[in-house]
Amino acid sequence: MAEAMNMAEEALAAGEVPVGCVFVRGQNIIAKARNRTNELRNATRHAELEAIDEILGDPVLTPPGTGRYPLSETTLYVTVEPCIMCASALRQMGIKEVFYGCANDRFGGCGGVIGVNDSIEHPSHPPYTAAGGYSREEAILILRRFYVTENSNAPAPKSKANRVLKTEILPP
Amino acid sequence: MALALGLGSLFNHSNFPNLSYTIDASTDSIRYSTTRNVEPDEELCLYHGGNLWFEPVGPNGARPSSGAQENEDSWGGLSNVDGLQDSRPIFFNGSVDEVVPEEELPFERFKPPPEEETLETIRTVQAWAVDVPEPQSIGPMLKWLRRSELDASELGHLKRVRKQGDTSTFLLTVSPLPPSLPEDISLPEPFLVTVPSSVAVTPTSLTLKSSLWPTVYAPRRKGEVEDWSQGKTRWAWEAMHVAVKEALRWRDKGELPIAAYVPAPYEELDAASPSSGFMAHDTRQSVAHPLRHAVMNVIRQIADDRAHSEVEAVKAQIPASADADDDAPRNGTNYLLTSQILFTTHEPCIMCSMALLHSRVKEVVYLFPMEKTGGCGGATCLPTLPGVNHRFSICRWKGETIQEDGLRLDASVDA
Repeated sequence: MAEAMNMAEEALAAGEVPVGCVFVRGQNIIAKARNRTNELRNATRHAELEAIDEILGDPVLTPPGTGRYPLSETTLYVTVEPCIMCASALRQMGIKEVFYGCANDRFGGCGGVIGVNDSIEHPSHPPYTAAGGYSREEAILILRRFYVTENSNAPAPKSKANRVLKTEILPP
Repeated sequence: MALALGLGSLFNHSNFPNLSYTIDASTDSIRYSTTRNVEPDEELCLYHGGNLWFEPVGPNGARPSSGAQENEDSWGGLSNVDGLQDSRPIFFNGSVDEVVPEEELPFERFKPPPEEETLETIRTVQAWAVDVPEPQSIGPMLKWLRRSELDASELGHLKRVRKQGDTSTFLLTVSPLPPSLPEDISLPEPFLVTVPSSVAVTPTSLTLKSSLWPTVYAPRRKGEVEDWSQGKTRWAWEAMHVAVKEALRWRDKGELPIAAYVPAPYEELDAASPSSGFMAHDTRQSVAHPLRHAVMNVIRQIADDRAHSEVEAVKAQIPASADADDDAPRNGTNYLLTSQILFTTHEPCIMCSMALLHSRVKEVVYLFPMEKTGGCGGATCLPTLPGVNHRFSICRWKGETIQEDGLRLDASVDA
């Protein structure tokens, strides 16, 4: 989770919404990524999908002939609850399990808005468990550090001159 | 039988044409437009109809599998766009601006209900109010209000007077300074109240808002959906048929038969330099990547195109928008799919539906529902979920107008 937070810091430094993640197989980090939505002008280029592309593009990590679920032995650590899109993608990839920092009540796909990971039924993909609360305060604070500044890459940036960084964090 | 003259008689036939056309009856002309990105030196081809009078040649020459009958029409069969439909629908008969009745549209529309407000999300403003304790003062007070400059339209969505017991409270103004009150009526000092800043559109919102101040109830009218003109409906008809053909084309090459198409908006067809649309198909088989769905592919294509054109603009030393126009948004004009309509052969899966929501698509039109895996009404319906920050409309194509068994997918597939 500390490595995922480093990736979120890298995203923040690059002017991106600070979300970072690492994928772990066995004892090893096999991929890490961060949000690149602004850089690639594509609101779907979330950290999780970036890392999945990296894993699938590497013939060592995904040898030819890998079965239907290339991530069945892989765990995801991500600073924010995966959004509905990523939660669905992870299930289609057969992820083993997910640990995340803070919940996401606007987009969350692991219970925040809807439980794509386990409560929505799917005719073939097995459900996976997703547990939140790991480094939660840090994950919230880095998001706040981003949102007190103006997201100048949003199509219609809002003036946030009056915003102050709140440091108090309420329990979930 | 009439023949298309001019350019129209020059285009060769292809079963998978890169051109489509619309007939503009008001000017007796035919408008040809590309249906996808065209490579340099690529030949522009049209579909000449299901019953060819010549032997087709070339890899695309195979005759369509569905039994199409040639339509005798004033355009020499040209309006039989792709041989998939047996007869021309009714919206091909009138002028482009005529509104198509809802039941004649080739699709059913589902508009997400307005987002239900909660006490936390109601927008409010501060307004000055004054208590009128004496019932006999109410009449003079109303008269004074009418004469005064305070009959502000900003408060038109609220009731003017709130009665609590014997006390009537008058709403005065949203101006920051307290208003001056009539001198001939004995009144206490005005005070600030928090009031809703818009009408109530649902019963729940009425209850919530009226707990702050009595609010006008104005439910949305049932028919409050955008009208589709004949021209736009023809545009949609062609778009869906183009997507179907693309899906079939790639099925024959071993992919899943799913395509997603974002045509240039109908409203922009007359623009000086119409941008062609974007078309993508499912590539999860060929690139061995389970997430390379048609919708994800088309979003990526559009994003790459936009990034590329920004780079080109910088190269050409076109002044950056920040210098040229301070009011211009700093990153293009919009999110990727703002005000765009996406056509796809199959209801997008949950991942793709959310990707479309992230990209702020306006409408999603699909042919085959995916009841167990879809995110636009199948397994769930994302744009209606509480909390999501964008809503888009969903149009489900009426199956009887396109019979294409070659596109059937297993119910467990994420499209």
